[in-house]
Amino acid sequence: MKIVAITACPTGIAHTYMAAEKLSKAGAENGHEVKVETHGSIGVENSLTQVEIDEADGVIIAADKEVDKSRFAGKKVVIVPVIAAIKDPLGLIEKTQAAPVYGASKQVEEKAYASQKRERSLFYRALMNGVSHMIPFVVVGGLLIALALALGGEPTANGLVIPKDSVWFKVNMIGSAAFTFMAPILAGYIAYAIADRPGLTPGIIAGYIAANGSFYNSEAGAGFIGAIIAGFIAGYIAKWIKSWKVPQMMQPIMPILIIPIIATIIAGGLFVYVLGAPIAGVMEGLTKFLEGMQGSSKILLGLILGGMIAFDMGGPVNKVAFLFGSAMITAGQPHIMGAIAAAICVPPLGMGLATLLKKNRFEKEEQEAGKAALMMGLVGITEGAIPFAAADPLRVIPANMVGSMTAGALAMVWGVTNSVPHGGPVVAVLGAVEQVFFFFLAIIIGVIVTALTAVTLKKPLTTIKAK
Amino acid sequence: MKLTDYMTKDMIILDLKASSPQLALHQLIDVMESEGRITNKSDYYKALVNREAQSSTAIGFEVAIPHGKTDAVILPSVVFAKAPEGIEWESLDGDPVKLVFMIGVPEAAAGNEHLRILALLSRRLIDDSFRDGLKEAVTVDEIYAQLSTVEA
Repeated sequence: MKIVAITACPTGIAHTYMAAEKLSKAGAENGHEVKVETHGSIGVENSLTQVEIDEADGVIIAADKEVDKSRFAGKKVVIVPVIAAIKDPLGLIEKTQAAPVYGASKQVEEKAYASQKRERSLFYRALMNGVSHMIPFVVVGGLLIALALALGGEPTANGLVIPKDSVWFKVNMIGSAAFTFMAPILAGYIAYAIADRPGLTPGIIAGYIAANGSFYNSEAGAGFIGAIIAGFIAGYIAKWIKSWKVPQMMQPIMPILIIPIIATIIAGGLFVYVLGAPIAGVMEGLTKFLEGMQGSSKILLGLILGGMIAFDMGGPVNKVAFLFGSAMITAGQPHIMGAIAAAICVPPLGMGLATLLKKNRFEKEEQEAGKAALMMGLVGITEGAIPFAAADPLRVIPANMVGSMTAGALAMVWGVTNSVPHGGPVVAVLGAVEQVFFFFLAIIIGVIVTALTAVTLKKPLTTIKAK
Repeated sequence: MKLTDYMTKDMIILDLKASSPQLALHQLIDVMESEGRITNKSDYYKALVNREAQSSTAIGFEVAIPHGKTDAVILPSVVFAKAPEGIEWESLDGDPVKLVFMIGVPEAAAGNEHLRILALLSRRLIDDSFRDGLKEAVTVDEIYAQLSTVEA
């Protein structure tokens, strides 16, 4: 038989490992394949993979403390105190075959999602680990910047500018400092979820590189999408290096020296030379494309600009659209910035509204982030929607794009203009917008479109997570 | 790293006599104190007894591993004692205890190398030949040499 087991005890020093040893030995002596995951003071070791759990004929949980059993839904599970595994390991192995199936009553609804859950299991967990650590940075940074802009900003041709001698200038700088950590933290904790502690450093550094275009001669960094990619690359490289067989002498320095250095060099190098380089090219191509679009229909241009703004929220595609809009103000075409200003605030406002409409689509932290996103949306900080997009890109990014495209196209058609390179309701309050009524109408319609699309595409959490 | 990095030869006792686990613990704690490994005897004793109260650490096959994690411990430490006459310890299999490993771990210690060694010790104790070797050993040096084979 194939058996998987977990052992755990309160102090996690002795019994955990004795029980593990007993189970493995009893298994080996009787022709069973037993793999034991230990939850000791050191942390979780010898982790069970989803494949091993799927293939197991039975599960033994020998623990004197709480252990997450959701992984074993649908398996025959024996749950006993840790001492039982030391006393009679073979008896436990045999007992699994007569054991009740864990979570049997919820089987039917879970089955439908089981395969989906398995595939995305590590991907989803890693992503959520990154997002949950990033959220405080987005909230702190976003709210400080929002406060500084709303109370200290003055509309000028260069955007909303805060006078250098005002205290709000410093507040804005502090907020910007928090934003700087967004991508590194996101990437770092994605990598941490994949490779444990040795993944953290390579992930943070690769995320920093991803967010800073200067590493690969690009005007803009790769944004949060780049940070997600960087996190996964760094995590999997660190995990791969962890699997190397090295002489025992080298083992102590692996997690603090060898793995972080090699993984950082490979992940950072990949980003600089392989992934980062094309970004500059993509930006150039998109800029040319937009310049060529100038003569075409207003609706089409509004749709394209709105979609670009919402796609990567501060990433290269967003930057191209924004810089194009800024340039067009000086060229005497402020209606282009009008469309962009409307599109800019749709993702954070739309996702904020979505968290209020349907709470069960969002984790607790996301619900809090939703309130902060509403604040950020008002002052045109698109980044407020990043936590949602990073956690569930395939559903949230389309929802954001549809809403921003709607707002962009409507603003364009209605002749909204904006003479300040900044977005969101704040520019209207500061008097930079003409056709203010239609500006707000375009935003409101866009926000509703995003919120409804998001709650329709996203599934209620209970079915995704299949407890 | 070796198990013996966490002890000295003075922390090996060849003939422990005690009529109860509590009395055995007190004698071993005295050793910890005289070796300067703990700051406070009663705090460490409390940690050990609390652990014992959750379930006996006499895990059968004549072995007990009382252990406590508390700030009263200065350095991760192991005291080893042989009790040829046996100690009644409410063991899992009912047999008296003849080998005692008393473990002390500070609440916050740098790194987790010591936890790895102790985990390894726990695994080795399941091995019959390791236990038999310790039971047959008669001098401190012999025991020390055998314990030093627990290394990671």
